[in-house]
Amino acid sequence: MTHEPTAVTTAAPAVRTKGLWKIFEHDGIVVEAVRDVDLTIERGDFVVLAGPSGSGKTTLLNMIGGLSRPSRGRIEVDGRDITDLTESRLARWRLDRVGFVFQAYNLLPVLTALENAEFTMLLRGIPPEERRSRVEELFAEIGMEGLEGRRPGKLSGGQQQRVAIARAVVGEPALVLADEPTANLDSKTSDGLIDLMSRFNRELGTTFIFATHDTELMRRARRFIRLVDGRVVEDERRDAPA
Amino acid sequence: MSGPWWRIGWRNLGRNPRRSLFTAGGLAVGYAAVVVMTGLGRGMVAEMIGNGTGILSGQLQVHAEGYLPERSVHETIGGREGIDVDALVGAVAADPTVSAAAPRLYGGGLVSAGDHTLAAGFVGIDPAREPAVSAIMAAGETGRLPGAGENELWIGREMARQLDVDAGDIVVVVAPAADGSLGNDLFTVAGVFRSGLGDVDASVAFIPLDALQQLMALPPGRVHEVAARIADPWDAAAAEERLLGELATDFPGTAPRAWNRFQPEMVEYAALFESMEWVIIVVVFIMAVFGVANTMLMATFERRREFALLLAIGTTPGVILRSVIWEAFVLGVVSLTLGAILTFPVLVWWHNAPPDMSWLYGDFTMAGGLIRPVLRVEYPPEMMVLGAVALFATALLAAVLPAYRAGRLPPADTLAGR
Ligand SMILES: Nc1ncnc2c1ncn2[C@@H]1O[C@H](COP(=O)(O)OP(=O)(O)OP(=O)(O)O)[C@@H](O)[C@H]1O
Ligand SMILES: [Mg+2]
Repeated sequence: MTHEPTAVTTAAPAVRTKGLWKIFEHDGIVVEAVRDVDLTIERGDFVVLAGPSGSGKTTLLNMIGGLSRPSRGRIEVDGRDITDLTESRLARWRLDRVGFVFQAYNLLPVLTALENAEFTMLLRGIPPEERRSRVEELFAEIGMEGLEGRRPGKLSGGQQQRVAIARAVVGEPALVLADEPTANLDSKTSDGLIDLMSRFNRELGTTFIFATHDTELMRRARRFIRLVDGRVVEDERRDAPA
Repeated sequence: MSGPWWRIGWRNLGRNPRRSLFTAGGLAVGYAAVVVMTGLGRGMVAEMIGNGTGILSGQLQVHAEGYLPERSVHETIGGREGIDVDALVGAVAADPTVSAAAPRLYGGGLVSAGDHTLAAGFVGIDPAREPAVSAIMAAGETGRLPGAGENELWIGREMARQLDVDAGDIVVVVAPAADGSLGNDLFTVAGVFRSGLGDVDASVAFIPLDALQQLMALPPGRVHEVAARIADPWDAAAAEERLLGELATDFPGTAPRAWNRFQPEMVEYAALFESMEWVIIVVVFIMAVFGVANTMLMATFERRREFALLLAIGTTPGVILRSVIWEAFVLGVVSLTLGAILTFPVLVWWHNAPPDMSWLYGDFTMAGGLIRPVLRVEYPPEMMVLGAVALFATALLAAVLPAYRAGRLPPADTLAGR
């Protein structure tokens, strides 16, 4: 392990992986979904993981978020090595440091939009008034005012994703991981969501990492990483911002 | 954390109201079954003990120490000298739980009318006091009770049938007397009773105490027993304890005995019923555990993506486990509410208006206690509480496995639908 002189805790990168592998084995069939990935992602970045279907984007993202464990290698997020944390500690760590946005099934159907958005704050024990005021403020910004009391089933796909994004950023995490957040949405809706996340990225400094096939999202990335067969084959920094 | 999980549990139950109601209904019926069945059991025990002690024996009896179990004619209270009967009756009646007490003398002999002669047991009673002690005194069918000092007889319907007599007829009574002679006299049948107790109706004759003493050549101070009525039979043991002290000085050689001593088979029946209550509660709720667990497993399996999402956004496995347990708790509350709605009206109605089952079966006796053909129900307060505890335990127990599984789901694979 090499120690970079700049890597003091305050300046630790958002994500750093070292020799990361994920190997699935089912009935004797071995799939190397992620192969030897070394990656450092700076704080406040807006990163897209692209690549063909099955190239390992979701697998990599899940490992970074502590949803699945690497077969080999190590992961540090925000200066903390999460590779060996227990399930409970991982969950607690995710609660404090990571926001997730998935393609679908993002919200609990029995909770209202507001209750979904404030859920992680509730788990963290933030008092109700504060939760409410933060979510209401956020809802006003993302054009969700008046829809606080609706259950997900009564929201459009785009509205549901807005709630999910609100929930992901409201706790001011180190990292938001979004796996195809714009899939299944029309381009106007998805462009709106990209604008929203880009704004949160600029205004709050939240680090975003996407796995996506969305060309508009790829265009807006400040760092573009392409995976093929689990390996990084392209890693491009674009300084023309999102 | 309880607030939201309670709410979420409630709403999750509401997602499949039919299934939830069905599950809660099952638990509610289980609860009702436990409470009503134990209520019926207690009704039967209360009927057995109430009638077994109330009809004739009384809930407490005082004898000479050596009287039981032989019941020798000579073992009268106070020995050959006898005692001040009124004073003893007064002392027994002074106990706070004793509502009435009456003296008795027992004998045996023959009763004849015309060509018919029967062996009979004689019970000498105080016609003024006895009706407050034994319910049989109210079982008269024809005629009236015998009068004090009169040569009168009060016999059961079966004895009357066998002797072919009824109220007003004259019979001859023969009884061995204490002095070895044979007492005999003419008696008038004052009345005929029907108690429902076969033996009593066929072979017991009640005679005024003084008349029987005269027949048996015994002075007025000699009786075998003072029987007492205690409204709640379960108070009798404590009364026995108290009287043991109270009577020791003024009436040495007397032995107060609660019904559980002279009718131990009733105690055994009561214990049997009590152990059956446990069997009922365990069987009912073990059956329920599997039903509820099955439903909970189904319900949590259907929601595995939601649990994975919860895990992904930072809910710990422990909190997820608790959330499922909370849901089971909510189910328990709903079930108990349903159970109470189902149980208590039935129980109250049943208690106050026990259905007449005489179309199905007649009187029968159990451990010597008469059971009337009514479905008597007594409230089983501990079983109401225990049933509720068992219901919650069942719901929570049934949730343990599904809750554990929900917390252990692999979030990545589950979210990917794998
Ligand atoms: N739990 C698993 N068990 C077995 N194989 C798996 C598992 N998860 C992923 N894989 C395999 O790993 C490879 C990478 O999958 P992954 O989902 O990361 O790809 P992806 O780049 O996200 O694809 P897509 O663009 O379709 O979402 C695929 O071959 C996939 O079949
Ligand atoms: Mg994917």
